[in-house]
Amino acid sequence: MGKTDRLTERQLTVLIFVSLLSPMIRILPTAAVTLGGRASWLSALAALPAGALLLAILRALTKNAPEGLGLADMAILGWGPVAGRIFAILCALWLTFYGGFLARSAAERLLSTVYPNGTTPVFIVTMLAVSILAAAGLTKTLSRTAEVLMPILLAVILVVLISAAPEVSGENLLPVTYRNWKDILYGAIPIFNVTAAHAYFLFLRGYVTKTTPGKRKVFPWLGLLIFIAFAVTLFTLGTLGTNLSITMENAFFMVIRNIKVFGVVERVEAVVVAIWIVTDFIFLSAILMIVAEVWKTVTGVKRRAFFVWPGAALSGAAAFLIARDAFDFLKWSDYIVPVINLTFTVALIPLALAVGKVRKKY
Amino acid sequence: MMRGRSAAPAEPEISPDATVSVAALEEVYKDCYDFESRDLHIGGDVRRKARLCFIDGLVSGSDVAEQVIKPLTDPERFGAVTDMKSVIAMLLGGSVYVYTAKSRTKLGELAEDLLNGFCALIFDAERTAVTFEVKSQQRRSVEAPKEEKVVKGAKDAFVETMKVNTTLVRRKLRNTHLKIRQYKLGSRADTAAALIYIEGFTNEGIVAEAERRLSGIRTEGALTSAVIEENIVDNPHSPFPQVISTERSDKFCMNILEGRVGILVDGLPLGFLAPGTFSQFMKVPEDHSGHFIVASALTLLRYFSVALTLLAPAFYVAVAMYHQEMIPTRLMQSMIEAKQQVPFPTAAEVIMMLLAFELLQEAGIRLPSPIGETVSIIGALIVGQSAVEASVVSPVVVVVIALAGIAGYTMPNQDMGSALRLCRFFLVLAAIGFGMFGVALGCAVLLYHLSSLESFGVPYMTPFAGGEGQHLSRALLRHSMTDKKDREPELKTGDGGEAKL
Amino acid sequence: MKKAVIFTLALTLALTGCSSGLTIFSNYRHLEMIELVRTVTVDSSEDGVTVGIYGTAGEEQEARMYEKSGPSIGVAMNELTLRPLGREAILSHTENMLIGEDLAKTRLDEVLDYVERFSEMRLDTGLLIVRDGTARDLVFGLAGEETPASDVVAGLDRNIARLGRGYVFSCREIAASLAQNGCALVQCVRGEEEEKLFEKRGDLNLAPAGMAVMRPDSTVGFLSDEETLGAMLILGKLRSCNLDVPVDDAVLTLSVDNVKSDIKPVFSKDGKLQRAEIKLSLEANLVSMDGLVDVRTRDVRERAEKALSDKVKSACDAAVRRGPALGFDFLDLGGILTRREPIAMEDMGVSWKEVFPSLPVEVEVESVLMRTYDIIDPPEISGREEGTPWEKLTDSLRDS
Repeated sequence: MGKTDRLTERQLTVLIFVSLLSPMIRILPTAAVTLGGRASWLSALAALPAGALLLAILRALTKNAPEGLGLADMAILGWGPVAGRIFAILCALWLTFYGGFLARSAAERLLSTVYPNGTTPVFIVTMLAVSILAAAGLTKTLSRTAEVLMPILLAVILVVLISAAPEVSGENLLPVTYRNWKDILYGAIPIFNVTAAHAYFLFLRGYVTKTTPGKRKVFPWLGLLIFIAFAVTLFTLGTLGTNLSITMENAFFMVIRNIKVFGVVERVEAVVVAIWIVTDFIFLSAILMIVAEVWKTVTGVKRRAFFVWPGAALSGAAAFLIARDAFDFLKWSDYIVPVINLTFTVALIPLALAVGKVRKKY
Repeated sequence: MMRGRSAAPAEPEISPDATVSVAALEEVYKDCYDFESRDLHIGGDVRRKARLCFIDGLVSGSDVAEQVIKPLTDPERFGAVTDMKSVIAMLLGGSVYVYTAKSRTKLGELAEDLLNGFCALIFDAERTAVTFEVKSQQRRSVEAPKEEKVVKGAKDAFVETMKVNTTLVRRKLRNTHLKIRQYKLGSRADTAAALIYIEGFTNEGIVAEAERRLSGIRTEGALTSAVIEENIVDNPHSPFPQVISTERSDKFCMNILEGRVGILVDGLPLGFLAPGTFSQFMKVPEDHSGHFIVASALTLLRYFSVALTLLAPAFYVAVAMYHQEMIPTRLMQSMIEAKQQVPFPTAAEVIMMLLAFELLQEAGIRLPSPIGETVSIIGALIVGQSAVEASVVSPVVVVVIALAGIAGYTMPNQDMGSALRLCRFFLVLAAIGFGMFGVALGCAVLLYHLSSLESFGVPYMTPFAGGEGQHLSRALLRHSMTDKKDREPELKTGDGGEAKL
Repeated sequence: MKKAVIFTLALTLALTGCSSGLTIFSNYRHLEMIELVRTVTVDSSEDGVTVGIYGTAGEEQEARMYEKSGPSIGVAMNELTLRPLGREAILSHTENMLIGEDLAKTRLDEVLDYVERFSEMRLDTGLLIVRDGTARDLVFGLAGEETPASDVVAGLDRNIARLGRGYVFSCREIAASLAQNGCALVQCVRGEEEEKLFEKRGDLNLAPAGMAVMRPDSTVGFLSDEETLGAMLILGKLRSCNLDVPVDDAVLTLSVDNVKSDIKPVFSKDGKLQRAEIKLSLEANLVSMDGLVDVRTRDVRERAEKALSDKVKSACDAAVRRGPALGFDFLDLGGILTRREPIAMEDMGVSWKEVFPSLPVEVEVESVLMRTYDIIDPPEISGREEGTPWEKLTDSLRDS
């Protein structure tokens, strides 16, 4: 790792938070309501313990590893040079595809909300081009950008939720009793899936310096993300009801469409969609950066930026080829990608770390 | 004294034959009508001579006559002294009433001293010359700052003479640990520059880095601020200022007390401060003159102005071109009505108005004061009004551009204001091409660029990004003076960040 | 690398204007070419549907209506919005949709689907069914030189809840209710000819005409004014309204306010749902009096409160009876009772659909006359000429 490219633990957690806002807002609340029904507004709270558990496990597995080691390095140490590299390459290939999926998803979302007469290529190419700039730069720069963006995003979410509050009706949220526990848990699965994606950022662990004692170490990203998931689900479900929330592809945006901000500006979904584009940019840049980091570790090439262009090109190809239309894309979005994501974040990555820990490699 | 690159010719030594030395000096200052030299009889004795050399205009004639010639030619003082070595010793010991006297053995140093307002005495049969500082007092007097308005603070701005500026600093910072290191910049101009810091307090790394960068300036003459700024900043290609420049001595000293290093340059009525971070460019010394709540509100207003000046035109373009659903119905009706007669599309309107605004501003700066102000006012009011009445632009565009422009003028630092004006165009183009998507991505790119900047190792977006997120409130608000004061941790000052109160 | 990225972005920017395909620029609208639509009408026609848009091209411009027929709403609207007479209509500011009764009977679901699906339309657009005529004719009749039809419709939208004559449900509310209950209430209106108060007004005036109970593809029935009032009171949609109640020889106009409803199920010991109880409490203020009664006296006030309670109860009973009569729970009593007692309702053994048609519902209304605004003691009532002001005051307090 370059000596000047260093970030603190807090900066990494802020980067994680801003990045994961993107899929969280994309899939919620439709995914949660589809599985959890009327009770799904409590699903976020149910997802919190699982998310915290995964976070604790990954922390415990990486706690004593020396500074400067990323997940790829740890996999190579733990599994050996061949198996470790295979694991790392597998992750890189999946994340390359995932980057393309993200770009396509952002484009589809824009077309179905504010640019109905557009086409996906323009958005995909633009997003990737801008993300290349960021991915080829320093890790600390991306994390600083996330730090600056974080309060702005939170302020926008707060204003939107306050403006949407009058439309929320308890009739759409209740009744919920102990008998709905299964629904609540089912609804928690997609939320947990999103939070689990923080495991990918372990590939950037090598850039994190241990912070000096006495100062704030981490940003409470998990709690805040869960709270936002809870609020978004609550407000959307409370406004549209269960059936409409399931029917709508972008239910939260439908809620935003109908709000007025202090009577001055109406129908602010264009602003909010634009803000989500920013989180997509951060997440996509982080993914491209992680992919390049993995290839850098696997090949031993010193310059990470060397791998950004090819990675972005492959992601672009994936974005174009993944599905012919929005209907096919839904299959990827609703089933295939979440399952593979869970496999990597909950199974493969912890396993990769656990092997190294058991073998006392770090 | 540190030297960037010597302006003097090769270093021959002073010849025991005074005629030779003087001839060498005359050769250096050939075709310089202001170079003067004359013989003086030491103690009135025609057998003992010294050659007086100086550059007319740089020295004070009366000081030369009264402080140097008169005592030197006084028989009572120097009449009994027979050898030149004794004469030289007496001269250096205070027999001549000049507060700075130096002995020189090299012709190059001698020649340089003449350029710094010294007069030189060259003696026969001696390899040592003596120079005396008799600088002319012709300089601009200390006045109130012109570019940075002062409401309640000190009204002593920097002038072109570095010595006066360092005096202003010394008067405000009476600290024995205040260090002022001098440098020479420019291969042909030998401009003096000073690096100012507080030893044991200012971070040594920053001091060393500043020294390294100053010493590394490769230029022929440091006559403009850009020579300094663009050579010492981390990213000279960024339009955003990365060192603070100010003509206010109080602001300069306040920042030295915060832990920054200061740079003064002879000939420039400015002081430079590093590191410079984004939040520093939002602050004015007036914040510390008024009540802290009022000051805090004004600081927040400035941040709001940044957003307004950057985003208002782009937001209008995006909304008017692509996202009309965001406009309230009544406003929409009046906008449509107003736009009926305008022949240009929205994008062209906005770009035209932005350019017109820039033209008016440039014209106002270039023209002499009374005319310039009148042109600005006339241009803004009459041209703008006429443009609306002639249906060249719609009224809403005029309002939006005017708001954005006025918001830009609230920036305490003109360099920051200029950078924001440039970025405004970029965002408008992004809005024209992509609507709100373009505005959002443009802002993301802009923020990314700002996040990539560093100033002497300190992240530019401190305390919003970088570090541990502490002292965020200090950037946005002004705390009461009675609150415990902590320094910005990023400056890593020698007292561990805690102020001694 | 940076140059390559900037080049790509510039190329993308250039491609946004490509006319070979649909790009971002396809979403660009010239502001001066916009026709701002505030009201949309949809009626049945021989070709399928006739869609009308009513809007303005600016504050000073006269409001205009355009219409087009087509096999579906989407087709007709598409032809209509793409530059009729050289302008481009945008629907994002549509405040209300008026649909003809004939169309509502069979194609309400298509209307809602269009609103939900089309990105320009808003879910908070109000939906009104026009009775005794077509929506198009109504809008034409409402439009006057100084009274655009959109303003008239918007005025009704804002004030109907205060009139106690109904409530304009939004498309979102109707769609949610249809999805949840299988039926929904939709406000009905009709045009009434009235004497023109001034020349530049429209020929017709817009009047509430009860509510319709709708299924996605059929009309179940209509509610009368009394049933509408009862439904609004039970659903809590009434903001305030003035009701006349007879007390002795006078008719008091009371402003009803602060209506609270408490609906709960009553179960037998074996868990069967016996009945539903609806308790309404409301506050009223005396707005005007036709005739004279001494409202200072408790007795008179109690009679007034009883008369009001009876009137409100009558309306609520009518609304409650209408549901089983139509066979649809348009008041969503099932949902309300389930929210109140979810476990008991789940355990009662039979589905709500089976219970609903014959479930007894008891309505109880409690009214309180709170104040009479500025006049307490009209001179005609007091009739007292003698006595000091202190005596008058003490007498009146004694009487109270």
